[in-house]
Amino acid sequence: MSAQEYDVVVVGAGVAGAVLAKHLTDGGLRVLILEAGPASAQSLSGYTQHLQTFYEARSKGPESAWPADPNAPQPDTADLRYNNGYFVQNGPQLYGSSYSRVQGGSTLHWLGVSLRMLPEDFELRSLYGVGRDWPLRYDDLEPFYRKAERDLGVSANVSDQQYHGLTFPDGYDYPMERVPLSYSDQWLSDATDGLEVSIGERAIPVHIRSYPAARNSIPRPSYQPTGALDRSDEGRTRQPFLGERCQGNTSCTPICPVQAKYNAGRTLAQIEPRKMELRARAVASEIDVDSVTGAVRGIRYKQYDGSTHTVQEAKARRYVIAAHAVENAKLMLASGLEGTNKLVGCNLMDHPTLYAWGLAPKPIGPFRGPLSTAGIEDFRSGSFRAGHAAFRFDVGNDGWKAPTGSPDSTVLDEVMHHGRFGRSLRQQLESTLSRQVRLSLAVEQLPEESNRVRLDQRFLDPLGNPRPAIDYRIHEYSLAGMAEAARVARAIFDHAGIEDHTDPEKASWFPSVQYRDRTFHYHGMGHFAGTHLMGDDAATSVVDHQQRSWEHKNLYLIGSGSFPSMGTSNPTLTIAALAIRTAEHLVSELTSE
Amino acid sequence: MRHHAIDVFLRFSAEVTGFKIVELRGTGESGEYLGTLDRIVGPDVVDELLSAYAELQPREEAEREQLLRRQIFGNEKLGPIARNIIKLWYVGIWYQLPRNWRERWGVREADVTFTVSPNAYTEGLLWPAIGANPAGARAPGYGSWALPPEIPQV
Repeated sequence: MSAQEYDVVVVGAGVAGAVLAKHLTDGGLRVLILEAGPASAQSLSGYTQHLQTFYEARSKGPESAWPADPNAPQPDTADLRYNNGYFVQNGPQLYGSSYSRVQGGSTLHWLGVSLRMLPEDFELRSLYGVGRDWPLRYDDLEPFYRKAERDLGVSANVSDQQYHGLTFPDGYDYPMERVPLSYSDQWLSDATDGLEVSIGERAIPVHIRSYPAARNSIPRPSYQPTGALDRSDEGRTRQPFLGERCQGNTSCTPICPVQAKYNAGRTLAQIEPRKMELRARAVASEIDVDSVTGAVRGIRYKQYDGSTHTVQEAKARRYVIAAHAVENAKLMLASGLEGTNKLVGCNLMDHPTLYAWGLAPKPIGPFRGPLSTAGIEDFRSGSFRAGHAAFRFDVGNDGWKAPTGSPDSTVLDEVMHHGRFGRSLRQQLESTLSRQVRLSLAVEQLPEESNRVRLDQRFLDPLGNPRPAIDYRIHEYSLAGMAEAARVARAIFDHAGIEDHTDPEKASWFPSVQYRDRTFHYHGMGHFAGTHLMGDDAATSVVDHQQRSWEHKNLYLIGSGSFPSMGTSNPTLTIAALAIRTAEHLVSELTSE
Repeated sequence: MRHHAIDVFLRFSAEVTGFKIVELRGTGESGEYLGTLDRIVGPDVVDELLSAYAELQPREEAEREQLLRRQIFGNEKLGPIARNIIKLWYVGIWYQLPRNWRERWGVREADVTFTVSPNAYTEGLLWPAIGANPAGARAPGYGSWALPPEIPQV
């Protein structure tokens, strides 16, 4: 394909760009994708090399299988403590999340939680007087949620998911059956039977519930699951028939060894190669805009190879920036496109999250199965949202790994501080590790203009691109939600007979924030949003309901940056649903021109 | 290969980890771990530890435990190495020796914290000790997590 033959240039080969490109090419359009990072996970042998990198890593954090290329640097949660990472953090709080710049994007190390947003999440301002409304409603997005569930390969039973107003058409069920609940989920479900916790005036019953996961399970009729795909540099794809079904590697994050968990590389590998060209190690550095018409004329990018690079320009009929909420804002700002209303980069959100951990009264078999298989969804909805944040719990299957570094840290502690060895060491490990319980308490955050991504020209990466600087504060609304979430977690522990060991002093280091007389230690969920939010008014938003830039009619900014509010859902399924919706709009528009 | 040293190293390792020699051999890691020790603290210090262990006469368990505690784990020079051997077997990571050890017996360049090899991670004994698979390897199969844990008896 020569340059002028592309219909659409897409910046970014993560889930948003990959799903969009799949639907554009299925609709007959020709696409060029520019990916800042390497294509190192594209072939099966390359992916397997990342697995070895993970095995050999000293610390096994979410980024450990995916080291950055120096030309496309990325945030790493290990850099937070000394604030010496990719983000220039201006505070007052540390923004605690990370993402990866590699072909396939952060879905290479996501957990796979594929929740839909609640109907009420789209009308936060109208219903509760806080945050912002979306220019879309749940019913507008519902058909695209179904398509996204098919593209990502989501396992769940509709009968578990009809809560808080979530609706599904008659006869619909997810592509695959729900992932079996872990033994510890089943125990916790029994142990919390009948528990109600009051929020304000309302007593809310607590349920341990299976959540939709983009992990292969038992397929329903007419669905063919996709496992690992092996794509050559020439674009030939082979299916080695590995990993059709989750095997229980207990490693969704940072790397699923068999690709039973969805990653965007699987979508890229299914795109018709004659309709798509994918250039990895190509960092978009400027959107070239006609200053008179506002139309985009091309995307300038730096194609690198080790320490050298060339500057090139990609042209097409439409341009889609799908590089991640922070990178999208960074590219717009670097191109001088902050917008007349100056909202590009503003309203950055996350789900700041607390941990609660304890010991069950009996062995429950943690460190087995997917990292989690259940959640608590009961506190995501309600009139209390007028006063404080909603929250969602993830029920871990990985003991205290996330908060304390267990099980390794438990071995070290017993050997170094309790002088244990031999039989006594084994017995001690068996009796403590087998009872570890962990909850993650993920709290909603509202859009605030002062939480924002800017550029700091003092800090340039090796290609001369500026690093993102972040202003971030966790406001009262979320802090009050954290206090309530922590209270609910304690009530669950009390009711289930779980001995509470939540003690930040004995945990790994996490950022902290003060609230009244207490200190919360929180971490990011990797749920970036809001940096180019959508609305129905050009004066108060950056993109419209199709994710089209108000000011540049042939430019689209897609991904969770378009979310005007987040609710409590993990954003990936909504990112994919919006990408499909935008792709269908583009196919319809470009094929009729 | 130091054949005699390997034998004593395995006997010592079995006693301090609580696993059988056959289980330790089954990891395929014994040569790599002894090699790591030789490279980092030197064969002389390793032999000093193994000789001290070999001198402990066969006795009943409680008494042996006391002797091990006193003569190996309580020894300023040998104790930190013995504890590192347990950690090697359980976690597959060599942890840098404590500062006072390094100051007294010399700083070795190779003495930094590192995962010995990809295999050392997946062969860590802590996983079988708790009836689990190492995160990211040797998956037990679809749905196995829904069943009660099976922890092998010590």
